[in-house]
Amino acid sequence: MPESTKELYTEEITLNMGPQHPSTHGVYRGILTMDGEYVVGVENVIGYLHRGLEKIAENRTYTQFIPYTDRLDYLSAMLNNLGYVQAVEKLMGIEVPERAEYLRIIMAELQRMASHMVFVASFALDLSGWTGWMYPFRDRERILDLFEMASGSRLTTSYLRIGGVAEDVPEEFWPALKALLADLPRCFEEYDGLITGNEIFQARTKGIGILDVATALAYGVTGPNLRAAGLAFDLRKARPYGIYSRFDFEIPTGQNGDSFDRFVVRIQEMRQSLRIIEQAVREIPAGPVRAKLPKVLRPPKGEVYHQIEGSKGILGFYLVSDGSTRPYRLHIRGPSFVNLGAFPLMVKGGTIQDLVSTLASIDIVLGEVDR
Amino acid sequence: MSGVYGEGLLKGLGITIRHFFGKAITEQYPERRPKLAPRFHGLLSLDPTKCTACGTCANFCPNGVIRIKSERDEQKRRHLTGYEVNLLYCLFCGLCVEACPEGALRFTPHFELATYRRAGAIYDLYALSREAAGERRAAGG
Repeated sequence: MPESTKELYTEEITLNMGPQHPSTHGVYRGILTMDGEYVVGVENVIGYLHRGLEKIAENRTYTQFIPYTDRLDYLSAMLNNLGYVQAVEKLMGIEVPERAEYLRIIMAELQRMASHMVFVASFALDLSGWTGWMYPFRDRERILDLFEMASGSRLTTSYLRIGGVAEDVPEEFWPALKALLADLPRCFEEYDGLITGNEIFQARTKGIGILDVATALAYGVTGPNLRAAGLAFDLRKARPYGIYSRFDFEIPTGQNGDSFDRFVVRIQEMRQSLRIIEQAVREIPAGPVRAKLPKVLRPPKGEVYHQIEGSKGILGFYLVSDGSTRPYRLHIRGPSFVNLGAFPLMVKGGTIQDLVSTLASIDIVLGEVDR
Repeated sequence: MSGVYGEGLLKGLGITIRHFFGKAITEQYPERRPKLAPRFHGLLSLDPTKCTACGTCANFCPNGVIRIKSERDEQKRRHLTGYEVNLLYCLFCGLCVEACPEGALRFTPHFELATYRRAGAIYDLYALSREAAGERRAAGG
């Protein structure tokens, strides 16, 4: 502190950020305690997007809840569908046809890429990089077009069903998918050239918002945020669900756990998703896409917990069945909600502009935080 | 990163300049219509000749969007007299279309459904389909 300001009287101020703020990715609100432009403390305020989805589940049949899972993390509807239908299938012991399993993998990995593209784009935008926003969205559009071909919807797909998928993909899906897969490596190169290699971007993200493995584990942080800290934990490898054990892919990790690593890990993950899809397209068998099930499902009494690797971390569904057509209780473990818990710790002591970039780097979606 | 400071910036600029001379990919929406997939979930449409007013679609709907009106004739057979869809609550999930045992219900690619009043979002598909049939008759003679 310069000599001249030493005698000045200073005090901490409280600054309200959100819930209507473009950099909060929805309706997140943080109550910041500031000392000048340095962050002393952050209090997370959530609940502005609470729709009571867990309660809604108790008033819907098992099938009827599928469209609601789209609206959890609305950037990865397919992954939410997957977690939920696999939980119900686990509860009822349903075998899913091979072709449906492969279609699920293709859709889930496409969705992971689409979600990461939004992350890359909005991270660039939060650091005022408008160009970096446009390029990933251009490519995400093509993924959403594929979803539209298969399911009829772009965002809220509701494509997966208990025991398979809603419908086999149409003929025109395959050439479009192959064209996209061929173009994607070049697109990832462009992201790297536009954003990752940019010196201003690096200056804004390297060494900022550091989260180490021990703290991440203590807070229950999962997904790319944990892997960026250096721990190679991915449910697709650690506890494979569906047919993930058949695919060959790597788990990208970072070293420093800073914002830059969280960004790079996600770009690398998109490359790995691409590998998985290429293998799935090669190996997909012909056959039915849906198991024969009664129209109204009545799972046996019991409970089940199923978790998958969502685009943002571990997405878990805890289902309790009382033997009726509706769930007795459904609990959803949303990764964004848990990851957000470590946010105040990550930004403490930093400046307010680094707070914005750190919030962008943990990739929260408020639909999942509030449910 | 290797090399001179500022190299990354120039590389990024090179990418954007290359695209500057490439093909524009932005869709000029209101002037040019989007090419939607055949399965696109737009407004629902009903074929009243196939519909038996069984109510399966209404039962499968997660949100109670569909309201069916029917009456029985002398042989106790049910006939459709109204099919109301309240799009204010519709999730466009397609469970109703999937559930229909007769294949009477389907999606159309009509997606511009914004209205000024709530009442405008409530469609009577039965009346709509009869109007359309009347128009076809008038046009075809």
